[in-house]
Amino acid sequence: MKVRQIEKVILYDEGPAETLDIGEIAEYIGDKLSRTEVEVRGNPLAFFPERSQDYARKFASIKVQDASRKIASKQEPLYGEIEYEKRRILGKTRSFGILYDGFHLHKILREIVLREERGLEFIHILFTSRLFATWDEGDKRYHLRASVYGIPSIISTTGLIEAPAKPREYYLLKQQYERLGKDVTEFKDRFKGRFIDYEDKRLTEVVKGYVMQAVFYSLTGDSFCEDKGCRLYNAHWQEELIFAHLESEYEFCRRHEKILDDLHRE
Amino acid sequence: MEKFSPVGEKDVTRAIVTEFAKQFEEYVESDCIIIGAGPSGLMAGRSLAKAGKKVLIVERNNYLGGGFWIGGYLMNKVTVRHPAERALDELGIPYKEVINGLLVADGPHACSKLIASACDSGVKFANMTAFDDLVLKEDGRVYGAVINWTPISALPREITCVDPVAIESAIVIDATGHDAQVVKKLEERGLIKTKGFGAMWVERSEDLVVEHTGEVYPGLIVTGMAVSTTYGLPRMGPTFGAMLLSGEVAAEVALEKLG
Repeated sequence: MKVRQIEKVILYDEGPAETLDIGEIAEYIGDKLSRTEVEVRGNPLAFFPERSQDYARKFASIKVQDASRKIASKQEPLYGEIEYEKRRILGKTRSFGILYDGFHLHKILREIVLREERGLEFIHILFTSRLFATWDEGDKRYHLRASVYGIPSIISTTGLIEAPAKPREYYLLKQQYERLGKDVTEFKDRFKGRFIDYEDKRLTEVVKGYVMQAVFYSLTGDSFCEDKGCRLYNAHWQEELIFAHLESEYEFCRRHEKILDDLHRE
Repeated sequence: MEKFSPVGEKDVTRAIVTEFAKQFEEYVESDCIIIGAGPSGLMAGRSLAKAGKKVLIVERNNYLGGGFWIGGYLMNKVTVRHPAERALDELGIPYKEVINGLLVADGPHACSKLIASACDSGVKFANMTAFDDLVLKEDGRVYGAVINWTPISALPREITCVDPVAIESAIVIDATGHDAQVVKKLEERGLIKTKGFGAMWVERSEDLVVEHTGEVYPGLIVTGMAVSTTYGLPRMGPTFGAMLLSGEVAAEVALEKLG
């Protein structure tokens, strides 16, 4: 398999979950790609404070209100929506819960990559708590995503929690609780450990696997693996995600392990 | 037993009419008109009145408090999530923590305390009064509300040719809940486009309601569940913390505007 040489991995932090340890992730990448420089660059939106109004307007105009309706590329945002996005960009709030169109979000965030670093020898990975979904023409609805890979690759700490499905019984019970008007947090304890939740200490470990999916996307053009025990497995269920990243006896399948070994040797 | 004072029917009627008319005339112009006396409207009114502002709350029902009397499923226990217990403490509402970060209070106790606190702070009410429209002036800013008696809308059209009246204020707050009635009036004129409901996402919706509370159009502030409808935020479960804190934020924004 043809593998590209990577000069540098740049990590950006656009307000992901507070439990995410980006320093630990940087060390992990350094360990896996020993010949590659890893830089932690902070919040890319803060580099251009003069553009915060422009970015705020862009983010506010790509909100998904209805998962069964594809949004127009330029929705007209309300003043209050722009103000909220501005506060987010300026780091004045960490609240989240808005759903964005993943395709348009990626387009906006592509602007943060410096022109001279847009080559294939660079990997840009951005961590965010923004939740995004991509439109599927097949079933005509949006689907939540934990990540999108490209320039840059975007990993959503909220998406990791919300996109891969929780156990079926969780949703049945949740529906009952909601019908009775009871607070859903009450029954979460019953499913403790069976899915990644907010403020989950296991988040950093899981994100390392997603980071490697982004790395493999850049190395080979393919992020995923069909082996359920490999960190590159594209998990659709939380239980699959936990197995691939936390419980499997090996980190990568033999094929992907070999690619990493070859990189070390070169 | 001590006897009641000997007053005639006419004295009782005169007392009601005089006091009502006096207040009504005084509040034809105020600093802030709040439409809706639910938890967010009451909190906003209370904070503004405490800051010395002249506040009138318009409520279409006879009773005040909106949905704050009962929690979900007609059960009269209301829940709030941390950090909204701050508001409960301030209002002197007893509560207990059922699980970490989730507090429950007695609905009637909580609601009556909030109403009493708003009254004590100096808020005045026009209950059984329906919001009919906004007062918009040439500069495109909101300057008040058009109101009418609630029962008018329940009578046959042929016998209800009762024109509404307008009252003015520097700021209007939409605290009408899911209906976002005031904002909808702007939408009817094509001045704004509300987003409707988003999907239900209880864990996140409260933060977002508070975050989006603010001026939505010059002179009009939106608070409580009306924020959710205006911005298409995720729907909320039966929990009231965001209503209380959103009311506080609405008051802060209004105070900033009023100077």
